[in-house]
Amino acid sequence: MAATPLHGKWLLALDGSNLPEKSLIGGKGWSIAHMLRQGLPVPPAFVITTEACAAYLETGELPAELDDQLQAAMQWLEEQTGRTYGCGHSPLLVSVRSGAAISMPGMMDTVLNLGINAETMQAFAVESGDDKFARDTYRRFHELYGEIVLRVTVPELGENENLSEWRARIEKAAGQAVPEAPTEQLKATIEAVFRSWTSRRAKRYRKHHGIPDNLGTAVTVQAMVFGNLDQNSGTGVLFSRNPLTGEPVPYGEYLRCAQGEDVVSGKYTPGHLDDMKTAAPDAYKTLIHAAQTLESTNREVQDIEFTVQQGKLYFLQSRTAKRSPAAAVRIAVDMYREGTIGIEDAIRRVNPDQVRSILSPRLGEGVSNGATVLASGLGVSHGIGVGTVVSDADEAERRAHDGEDVVLATATTSPDDVHGMLVARAVITEQGGSTSHAAVVGRALGLPSVVGCGVGTVTSLHGQTVTVDGENGKIYAGALKVVTPCETEDDRLAELLSWAHEHSPLTVYRPDEAPQDTLDLESNDDAADPANLPALIKGARGARGGAIASEQGVKAALQAGLEYIVAEPTLPALLAAIHAGGTPESSPSIEND
Amino acid sequence: MQDLQLVMHGIAVKKYATVDEICSITGLQSDTVKELVGHAVARGRASEANGKYLLTPTGQITLKSAYSKTYGSLRRDEEFVATYQDFERINNDLKQAITEWQTIGIGGQTVANDHSDEAYDSAVIDRIGDIHERVEIILKRLGNQEPRLNRYSNKLLSALEKAEDGDIRWVSDATMESYHTVWFELHEDLLRIMGREREEF
Repeated sequence: MAATPLHGKWLLALDGSNLPEKSLIGGKGWSIAHMLRQGLPVPPAFVITTEACAAYLETGELPAELDDQLQAAMQWLEEQTGRTYGCGHSPLLVSVRSGAAISMPGMMDTVLNLGINAETMQAFAVESGDDKFARDTYRRFHELYGEIVLRVTVPELGENENLSEWRARIEKAAGQAVPEAPTEQLKATIEAVFRSWTSRRAKRYRKHHGIPDNLGTAVTVQAMVFGNLDQNSGTGVLFSRNPLTGEPVPYGEYLRCAQGEDVVSGKYTPGHLDDMKTAAPDAYKTLIHAAQTLESTNREVQDIEFTVQQGKLYFLQSRTAKRSPAAAVRIAVDMYREGTIGIEDAIRRVNPDQVRSILSPRLGEGVSNGATVLASGLGVSHGIGVGTVVSDADEAERRAHDGEDVVLATATTSPDDVHGMLVARAVITEQGGSTSHAAVVGRALGLPSVVGCGVGTVTSLHGQTVTVDGENGKIYAGALKVVTPCETEDDRLAELLSWAHEHSPLTVYRPDEAPQDTLDLESNDDAADPANLPALIKGARGARGGAIASEQGVKAALQAGLEYIVAEPTLPALLAAIHAGGTPESSPSIEND
Repeated sequence: MQDLQLVMHGIAVKKYATVDEICSITGLQSDTVKELVGHAVARGRASEANGKYLLTPTGQITLKSAYSKTYGSLRRDEEFVATYQDFERINNDLKQAITEWQTIGIGGQTVANDHSDEAYDSAVIDRIGDIHERVEIILKRLGNQEPRLNRYSNKLLSALEKAEDGDIRWVSDATMESYHTVWFELHEDLLRIMGREREEF
């Protein structure tokens, strides 16, 4: 293609006409180009190439010709969107992202809302009919620019604070001001992306992974779309299947007249997708259809972020969806049954920890129905813990040392209490939320934890035997019946199990199937540490006990050439053996974040 | 602070500290710390159990008054206080990042992060790296006035780099000097310098 201002060495408009090399436009730009090739509607964007980065790193300045090309590209964005950058009644705002061919840490985060200043904020307020939103957009840009480009901790903007006073505070903290002129905002941000290529983390990562220093990063400049302009606008998330249960039906959330962050922040409760069906029927149809296409092209469940601006659908990002352990099993088996993936892929999409989580002890069916709830709060670390409530970490440690099961209950926890948490079966606090110390440490220890149960909980529970459910946040009176699910109960799990038996390089027996001459590590204290296993199992035919069924234990067994191990349940060990045996399946993902 | 007070401060920040841990937090030599914890125990300022030291109520009170004497001027220093407030703000970012490390949102529900998704984990570690770059600037400013605080910068970086190299226990494991453990102690240290209480939300 001939070099034009929009298709040159330094800059490329992503107009769907071609799919440039990833090494030139970076992963993010490539994802956008890729989505455009698939016919998906994506907000218009252009890329400043990795070549421009190399030139910048060499000379310390942006290439001279880039100025004109940048201007031409911004004009093109204006034509595409019908908006104008830095002026007019419908101001164009853009985002700026870094993106190397290989994604790596230390690269600059995304800056949103470039193009906003005192003047465009006014225009934006009139256009959206929402003064507060316009001010928020202004604030958000300054926060991101301050933190990401100027690298300072931006002071909070008070509700009634004057914007120029606030800008002055950022200037004082940073030693330089956030530019008012939108062109300056853009150029300074582009330079900051290029500089981030030489950040400590990026350099370290490249050295560690043998990635050449001269690859450089590209910069993607993309028009912002807004889901809050009117009732025909909105924002949402769509999963091509239910990521909690794995059920093969689209699952998602939609929030009318809102911006993406509103959904993420939890400030508003999003509505059901059906609301989108009514409010923006055409966009809805396109979305559902595209979700199915994306899923079958990628052979993976998709998690799609989208915005509807005045009735028109825009894809912001599509990537492989995260899923609950139960959904992981159901989706893997279903996709095999549908003929989308093979058995090996299906097995590799489920990891040992997910199966352990599904098979971990839980309250028996219906047990909680008749039980007395003594207290409830926010469940922040799942699992069931049963024990006597003590209200002091030292006491917890002493009594646990004597072999008693204890539950630690305190007003809040601090490092003071960690020694008590280490030995407790569960932890309960009166105050705190999902980021409190108890929650953070509880999760780190895999300890069932319920926080924020209210003042007085400790006193009322002290000395009682309780059952703590760290998932639903309830504390029940007495020791409730805890059951351990069986790996053959569920038909999909059973199917996965039969496949795993066939494909595992190591035989795994249940305890009642174990041969007579099995090496028993149960009574050997050293065998609890997987590091000691190679020496202990050398020359054995098969082994049981100790850490042999853990991931590292299975690896040791494979390396030592054991014929079999004994485990209960068997599926996690089988999966560990399969995962240790070969290269993991690459999970295709396209994204544009 | 005098070395004895510094040792007591080290115990207080750790709550329940071995000699090695006191050395690591105060930068004092092992022999000095051993001698001084001996003094503290003899004077009823600290007690020992299983090789770990804990301040007695008397010890707590003595230490508090030592703080007022040592840090009275810092507590009134406008610049130091403003920088401390910057730390409090970035502390919320770190807490958020640690929560994201430990939990994953799946379709609107929060479940424990089983660390099966390396890309997700790397992104969170990268975010912590981002926060680290900003906290370094804050620590430098705080360290100009209280050089003792400079120690945290290296401890944080060391934990971060181990996590970046793939040993993810160094992010938030409560049983080692992980990034979160060191951060939490730094926060505790600052609260003590400022004479404030921790707020939990």
